[in-house]
Amino acid sequence: MRPILAIAKATVGEAVRRKVLLIIFFIAALLLFIAPLLGVLSARSEKTVLTGFVLGIVQLSSAVIAITLTVYMLPNEVERRTIYTILSKPVQRYQFLVGKYLGAISALAIMMGFMGLITVAEFAIFQKDVAKGISLLQGIAMFFVQMSLLSAVAIFLSTFVAPLVNFFLSGGIYLIGTLGFPFFDSFSRNPNSPALGKGMAWLVTNILPNFASYNVQNPLINPETQISNPLMYALNAVIYGVVYIVVMLILGMIVFDRKEV
Amino acid sequence: MAAAIETKNLTKTYKSKAHGLVNVVDKLNLHVEEGEIFGFLGPNGAGKTTTIKMLLSIIEATEGEGYVLGKELGDFDVHKLISYVPERPYYYEYMTGMEILKFYGSLFGISDVAKMEGLLEKVNLHRDKTKTISQFSKGMQQRIGLAQALLNDPKLLFLDEPTGGLDPIAHREIRDLILSFRDEGRTVFISSHELSEVELICDRVAIINHGVIARQGKLTELLAGGRVEITVEGMKKEILSDMKINDGNVLELGNGVLFDVPAESDIDAIIDGTRAKGGKIQSIVPRKKRLEDLFVETVTAK
Repeated sequence: MRPILAIAKATVGEAVRRKVLLIIFFIAALLLFIAPLLGVLSARSEKTVLTGFVLGIVQLSSAVIAITLTVYMLPNEVERRTIYTILSKPVQRYQFLVGKYLGAISALAIMMGFMGLITVAEFAIFQKDVAKGISLLQGIAMFFVQMSLLSAVAIFLSTFVAPLVNFFLSGGIYLIGTLGFPFFDSFSRNPNSPALGKGMAWLVTNILPNFASYNVQNPLINPETQISNPLMYALNAVIYGVVYIVVMLILGMIVFDRKEV
Repeated sequence: MAAAIETKNLTKTYKSKAHGLVNVVDKLNLHVEEGEIFGFLGPNGAGKTTTIKMLLSIIEATEGEGYVLGKELGDFDVHKLISYVPERPYYYEYMTGMEILKFYGSLFGISDVAKMEGLLEKVNLHRDKTKTISQFSKGMQQRIGLAQALLNDPKLLFLDEPTGGLDPIAHREIRDLILSFRDEGRTVFISSHELSEVELICDRVAIINHGVIARQGKLTELLAGGRVEITVEGMKKEILSDMKINDGNVLELGNGVLFDVPAESDIDAIIDGTRAKGGKIQSIVPRKKRLEDLFVETVTAK
């Protein structure tokens, strides 16, 4: 466990200093700051518009950060030869991989945590509604699980795919899993769907991760929309995410263990 | 003396799209004794780094066997007894020298700050311990690399191009450190292109070419022999046509000739012969065989 924590800590230290990630983070923070001014763009209530914008900005920027952070993580360590100084010590490859992953999601947690703080401050200052700001943290927490899952997918792919390909591949999987999942799900369940299409939809819904479960914007933006048992729903989504993450990491370990670095 | 490294027919094969199966390292038989500084030489692409990676168990050999400190390759326990400093290593730039040592120390479960302070002092970085790696010069980065490599008090150190790209002062500092490792009883395995450096500090060397060991042995034995250059004034090359010069060359210089002969030649006979023909000896310069000569001779041999 000790090497895993040491590697995770070093990864966090490096990640929060990476200029490209800081730029994405600052753009996200800037957009969050100007979000209250965008209420005029919609006929809906200012609070509703602000909620939608804030959650959208947090989700999109976190996804970009998660992918950018993880796709280069292993290849950079090999290219810069840091991996050799680490693996020549009593450190197993799986410990290295898990350490890198934990470091990545810790860095992500720090950045998303700051976005959450900005969100609460924004609702407190502009809407005089701290409670609403705090309620949005539930959504951000769900996004964090979503991003942890996305990071696990990207880390797994990085064990055998080049970084640029991985960037688009992970991004594509995220888009399908977020936007397309409900469509493929209903398509695969529909008895009238063509067999081939149904089969493909079944593959997508059963193999690709379901990122859509973490998109909880709707009930947060429209409080009248109720999930029958929110706690159970969240718990199920978290358990699904954790299981999927573990599977991704195990597959990553198997591939990485055999990889010639 | 016990072997620190012993390999028997160690082979690493890669698949190449252009050439099919290629033996990057081919039936390697290495023998490194404990407590010596061993130079592992070879041109680029000869298989040096692949060999080191196999010895460190970072990659697996395709065939053959190998032992590091008596333990078979792949034995995880040996990692506690060895250390490695790669060529132009990258250390997390935001960390200070002390933080680097704490990070690598934590991989071993070592948290002894006094020991780390001592190592910084040993590599002459104790005054720079608050500087981050991004503020370090190349020489300082190499020295922090050596300090981290000493954290576990290793019996065997692998150093890949330890003086590559360093200025003469840094060269000397690193060389002195490597020599101090031998004095402490450690075995040092150096892969390098800096032949003059290797010649100064190594006890034994191996030259690898196209994945095959072409030469291996004590440096003193491999460099035995050498040449002698005799410069003679006031005579022409033609006058010497009846002189027997075995395995030597005679070159014409402006007003004289230059004999370039093996050190074991009958130098007295050459001197007497040239004097008898009216030549005047200007200089006799023994030229020791250099590692560079041996290296070039080995890697260019068909």
